[in-house]
Amino acid sequence: MTATSLDRPFTVVSLLPRLLDTNGDAGNARVLAQRIRWSGHDALVVDVHSRADLPEHVDAVSVGSGTDAALLPVRDLLRTLVEELRVWSNSGVPILAVGTGWELLSWGIDRADGTVLEGLGLVAGHAVPRAVRATDDIIVASKYGRLIGFENHARDYVGAEASPLGRVIYGTGNSDAPANGPQIEGLTMGEVFCTHLHGPVLACNPALADHLLQAAFDRSGLRYSRGATSESVDETARAARNQVAVRLGQPAE
Amino acid sequence: MRFVSSLRYAPAILVGRAVRTLARWRKPGGGSAIPGVIVNRIAPGFLAATLNGFPLGLVIVTGSSGKSTTTKMLVAILRAHGLSVFTNQSTANISQGLTSALLEQVSLAGTIAGDVAVLEMDEGHGAFIAGSLTPRVVALTNVMVDQIDRFHDSEMVVALLAKIAARATESVVLNADDRYLADLGNALAPAVAVSRYGVTREVLAEHPRGLGYADTAPTRLPAGTGLQLTRVVGRDADVQFATGIHSIRLPARGIHYAVDALTALSTARATLGERFVPTVACAALSAMPAVFGRGEVVTVGGKTIEFVLVQNPSSFQLNVDSLEPGTEQILVIIGSDVRDPSYFWPVHTSGLGHVLIASGLKAHEIALQLAYDDVVVDRIEPDVPTALDAFLSLPNPVSGVKTIIFSADGMRRTRAHLGLVSNSEDPV
Repeated sequence: MTATSLDRPFTVVSLLPRLLDTNGDAGNARVLAQRIRWSGHDALVVDVHSRADLPEHVDAVSVGSGTDAALLPVRDLLRTLVEELRVWSNSGVPILAVGTGWELLSWGIDRADGTVLEGLGLVAGHAVPRAVRATDDIIVASKYGRLIGFENHARDYVGAEASPLGRVIYGTGNSDAPANGPQIEGLTMGEVFCTHLHGPVLACNPALADHLLQAAFDRSGLRYSRGATSESVDETARAARNQVAVRLGQPAE
Repeated sequence: MRFVSSLRYAPAILVGRAVRTLARWRKPGGGSAIPGVIVNRIAPGFLAATLNGFPLGLVIVTGSSGKSTTTKMLVAILRAHGLSVFTNQSTANISQGLTSALLEQVSLAGTIAGDVAVLEMDEGHGAFIAGSLTPRVVALTNVMVDQIDRFHDSEMVVALLAKIAARATESVVLNADDRYLADLGNALAPAVAVSRYGVTREVLAEHPRGLGYADTAPTRLPAGTGLQLTRVVGRDADVQFATGIHSIRLPARGIHYAVDALTALSTARATLGERFVPTVACAALSAMPAVFGRGEVVTVGGKTIEFVLVQNPSSFQLNVDSLEPGTEQILVIIGSDVRDPSYFWPVHTSGLGHVLIASGLKAHEIALQLAYDDVVVDRIEPDVPTALDAFLSLPNPVSGVKTIIFSADGMRRTRAHLGLVSNSEDPV
């Protein structure tokens, strides 16, 4: 028998949204929940500020980006959730991590003063200082379509070469173009997606959002289908992406 | 009569005036910063010497948000007390703009007829020029996380504000509800008086999303230790002075205007000392016209329109929350000045309910956010004049007034299209 719905709302966890929402990245949890509702299912966002807030069921997880001043307290808070993060990533719960949230899930962050802030070691690689902050639009060719967003980071990321999210068409991504090999952006590991595209990357790039949602639905034996509202909202997102693409000399889609 | 600096700056002043005349001759009406650049180059001490030379000294208003409104309120209160006030418009480069403004009025002896100078300062430029200034009073409004300025986190903003506050010779006026400012006040040298102001527990409780500060202080100002905001309803607010409660009428709805008024009252009290009269101050505040752009009400072609300017996520949120319930005609214009619209996503826009048109260069981005917040958007029209014409051609709403929410670029385009005067005010 194939189920058609859950007997509980889909639950999207937003991790530490008070500390990790500098660029509006916590909004990605809102995007996932809305798209689930628009597909005809109940959904809720649970803001997790500490272990006490953890819900019983978790269907998807969003980790945003914060300020450098908050790196240490955020890392310490994330450490209290490391077991859950491990279970989620190993059991295929889709996780989106943006900017410093991603860096803290990695082996660690090499800081400009030579010290290292140890990360959670959940994904391979680590962050290293850049000479100049990367702040601009970014366009990435990926399995989930052409992703367009905005990046703003003071560090590069090394160690994602084997499993990037995509190839940089415009912008910086994980580092400036290397002498050999492609210029890449982001990291994927199973259903864990890490990226420098900050803010509402899932609203602007709904194909990536729907991939995460299909992964979440698969775990409950359900098929995800994009609702009618999503279709019209996605047209708005396409227009927004095209505007950036055309401005940067790329074809419209 | 003061002989502050003899004629030391006379040559530079004359050169600056000549350049100003030439600049105006070349571009009529142009209030160029060029004369300021030149005078600052040939006489670098001019600006500081002139600003430090007022009989009642210099008052600096700084902080993340509310500087302009607070400065205008403070100037109105001081003038109502009979003072002649020199003040500035906030400009991108404060030292050049100020020097140019000073050249308009300065005597060859380097002095200006006036009792007091009140300057609004951006925290960055303020910290840069503060080293040469000796303000009598420094007022600190708040520390907000403003992603336009996203490379600076709160700690960096506080460090800049502390640098300006450290120059105060007599008193620092600060918002005790802002945790960063409360801490800054506790760390100031004991020689300087600290005047604190804040809202009551009840007022804070009516604003469950807080007042927009990067961090709200855990406790409220104890009664009797500074001016307190005890009530805000629409455009009406009550302020508790040592002598009793006085009511004020705000230039626009919203808790942030009430706190700006509180800042201005506290700063006026610190500046005037014994001469401060609460009834005079409150009457002056209540008589102020609506503040430009934010909450300003205009009439175009017989139709009333309210303008709401959003400058950062905090002001966007406060403005959404203080919108008249049931406002049925809303136009949102987000322009090219918002480089990265991600920055507005921490704002909960669902309170808008229904937006007739999303416009501006970032029309699609803002429409996307509104859609995810369950706000119905009828139309996306990036061209601002087209959107304005369509919006204005609708009959007057049954509920609320036509409301335009815009970024600074949206405001500029709107004013230009509607033929409204540009955002300039006599600087004196």
